[in-house]
Amino acid sequence: MSVVVVGAGLAGLTAATDLAASGVEVTVLEARERVGGRTHGIEVAPGVWVDAGAAYLGDRHTALTALLAELDLKTTPTTMTGASRFALGGAGQTRAGRFPPLSAVALGELFDALDELDRGVRADAPWLSAGAAQLDALTAAEWAREHLRHPDARLFFPLFLGEMMAADPADVSVLHMAFYLRSGGGIRYLNAFAGGAQEDRIDGGAHQVCRRLAAALGDRVRLGEPVRAIHQDGDGVTVVAATGSVRAQAAVVAVPPTLADAIDHRPVLPAPRSGERTAPGCAVKVHLVYPTPAWREQGLSGWSVNARRPLLSTVDDSPADGEVGVLTGFVTGREAHRYAALPAAEQREQAVAQAARLFPGLPEPIGCHVTDWVHERYSRGCYAALFGPGDWPRLGPRLTAPHRRVHWAGTETSTEFFGLMEGAIRSGHRVAAEISATYRWRDIHD
Amino acid sequence: MNVNAVSAVFQRVLENPEVRADSDFFVMGGDSLLATRVLSAIARTSGVELDFDDFLDAPTPSALAKKIASAGQDVNRA
Repeated sequence: MSVVVVGAGLAGLTAATDLAASGVEVTVLEARERVGGRTHGIEVAPGVWVDAGAAYLGDRHTALTALLAELDLKTTPTTMTGASRFALGGAGQTRAGRFPPLSAVALGELFDALDELDRGVRADAPWLSAGAAQLDALTAAEWAREHLRHPDARLFFPLFLGEMMAADPADVSVLHMAFYLRSGGGIRYLNAFAGGAQEDRIDGGAHQVCRRLAAALGDRVRLGEPVRAIHQDGDGVTVVAATGSVRAQAAVVAVPPTLADAIDHRPVLPAPRSGERTAPGCAVKVHLVYPTPAWREQGLSGWSVNARRPLLSTVDDSPADGEVGVLTGFVTGREAHRYAALPAAEQREQAVAQAARLFPGLPEPIGCHVTDWVHERYSRGCYAALFGPGDWPRLGPRLTAPHRRVHWAGTETSTEFFGLMEGAIRSGHRVAAEISATYRWRDIHD
Repeated sequence: MNVNAVSAVFQRVLENPEVRADSDFFVMGGDSLLATRVLSAIARTSGVELDFDDFLDAPTPSALAKKIASAGQDVNRA
């Protein structure tokens, strides 16, 4: 049995590892000159790595936790001690804890409404939920205009959605929003650091997971091989990449849906992997590096939430030894499009100026790293593809259905923890099991 | 709203039947997001809009019921 895996992110490498372990001859073709996909490490100071992509995990992320144990990788808690900063119109404010200076009742009503929505969707098949057609027809922005009365709820909703799913409310259907929140464990779990989906990060960077998986697979992983075409015939698949073709009995496509559609499939796909309204997840991550985490001396945690541009929120990602201070800024939603289009010098200037306003007394940063996922050619967005109106009813029923000998993986094929590292890994295990079950009989009789 | 009614809100929001009159919301696993949902439920039932600092100040059903009672009186006097 032989399988070609397209994409060396978490999904592809998990699938390849499982398949190799069961004796399958595996080739992994990766477009970039690195593995990892939407996990990516940057060395911001000697020996100090930050996550330019996916970073966090919680205790419900059991497949990732198991993989970390196998790979001998440790986690480190995302400690958050000290006061928060808020710039939500008017002067900046300092508050104990993480709660913004907005009407608690108004935010409670917003969370009540979101909770009701996410409890109403079927986690395993959102397109079959009661009232799916109505929820699919409406964007989250339209829903907010209709359902959110209090100005504080209207102000906070796009910030919350940006934080949770890197979405502009105009980009996602209400069905997708409700599904995403449900898939990730509900609003409380997705939102929380301690006891939630941001409880820990991976010591030394999340990119090490793919690096270690790839190292064990050795020369089965080939970099710089963007796949152009997958041609199927009665006996197998021919996968056409940059430097030549690879022949195998089956293929796993483990790339985001819009990239899966960009491959020339023959025979053609019976239905596309993405829809007309499928949008890239809008995230730009900014890492500002300072000589020390100076905000801690003022009793501040580094956490901030802002209605001002460009950084929607900031968080302290400094290494445990405090050797340097790392402030990570998130630019998400609509603002990510504007910010990503700016020249590099201006991106830096705006981020540095905003950090200085939020945390007075900060010195000039010694480093500034901007990672634009929106325009990343081989990801097309982060955290995950955003499904707009019309997408789920069309794409949902075929989310994991193989196209003859072509099978699908990637976090967008997992209804469990969709969009997260956990979803990617689960999809990798799922597709490997699917292939073993499908081809076992043929293999024995070959 | 009396203590029992506030306890019932805590139980529903925390999805935990073990809440007592003197249970601290944050010790029982509550966080700021869930706290807002307690406050929206109180506003719906009693018409009293407390803010987050009120809750931090009175994180048990008995203390919160007292806050609601005194805030309710203020509303009536005004």
